[in-house]
Amino acid sequence: MTQTPTFTWHGVVDGAHKGLLIAPTLIAFGLGVGLLAASKGLSVSEIALMSAWVYAGGAQMATLQVWTEPLPVFALVLTVLAMNARYILLSASLRPYFGTLPFWQVYPGLAIFGDGNWMLQMREVNEGRRPDAGFLLGSGLVMILPWTASTVAGHLFGQILGDPRRFGIDFLLAAFFAVMSVGFLRKARSIAPLLVAIAVAVAVQKMVPGPWYLFAGALAGSLAGALRVDKA
Amino acid sequence: MSIRPEVFQAIALLGLASLACRLSGFFLMRYVSITPRVDAWLRAIPIALIGAILGPIAVNGGPPEWLGLAVAIGVMHFSANEFAATIGACATVALARAAMA
Repeated sequence: MTQTPTFTWHGVVDGAHKGLLIAPTLIAFGLGVGLLAASKGLSVSEIALMSAWVYAGGAQMATLQVWTEPLPVFALVLTVLAMNARYILLSASLRPYFGTLPFWQVYPGLAIFGDGNWMLQMREVNEGRRPDAGFLLGSGLVMILPWTASTVAGHLFGQILGDPRRFGIDFLLAAFFAVMSVGFLRKARSIAPLLVAIAVAVAVQKMVPGPWYLFAGALAGSLAGALRVDKA
Repeated sequence: MSIRPEVFQAIALLGLASLACRLSGFFLMRYVSITPRVDAWLRAIPIALIGAILGPIAVNGGPPEWLGLAVAIGVMHFSANEFAATIGACATVALARAAMA
């Protein structure tokens, strides 16, 4: 059974501390997004606003790629929805842990969560620690600030950085998820969700334009997990 | 530099779409009771997301990326040091790309 959730200052600090693990990935990614924004004619203020408000690396990268003037607003919104639909699942998965907390303790953290700190939060509860919504908020805060700052830096100085592929920086996100997979796989009851997610994501990426494959893979994989239920 | 009105409007909408995705899952689950089956579904989401992100990267990548994934998982498995595993994987990818270039 899950433990009684809480919201503590200690959780905020612990989240901020552990969230620093994600900062290098965000900064490297942010520099690239800032550089792309500059090449599409966005001003520094515009990319700062976008990073702080839309605050989604993959979605910003994808929308900037289709960014032309006059702005194709409908296509841009659809791109954000395709890229961020997975957040609906991630957000839903927090309900069993934080469902009984007052909304003001949970929603600020939800408003600024991303893949990285959500994964850290899930690992906390997966390893038996008490669910603390402060952790989600603290780890989110140490993501949104460097994220926004690094896109601004990328806009201003991106040209002099050179190709990030040379240093393997484009691999940071993949490395982070591979590292995270170790703890989850150790505790997983079955690897069916992993295999189904891989198969569906790869197939959908080949057949459907846009970034829908992330949501499709995560949804199909997690539903595969629901096929097997522990006997009470 | 300034913010153009049409860009401001577009970014406002994009942010709302983003926020809606972040908040709606948790909010909607208010109306779903957490049966053992629903619980099993929610618990499988982390591992499913990992598959959905890494699957295409592995399939679209080559030996440097495969080696990088192996190093990330191997170092984490034996040392439990996240930072070493992450940085080691990226360094491996960079070296392998340089060796193959």
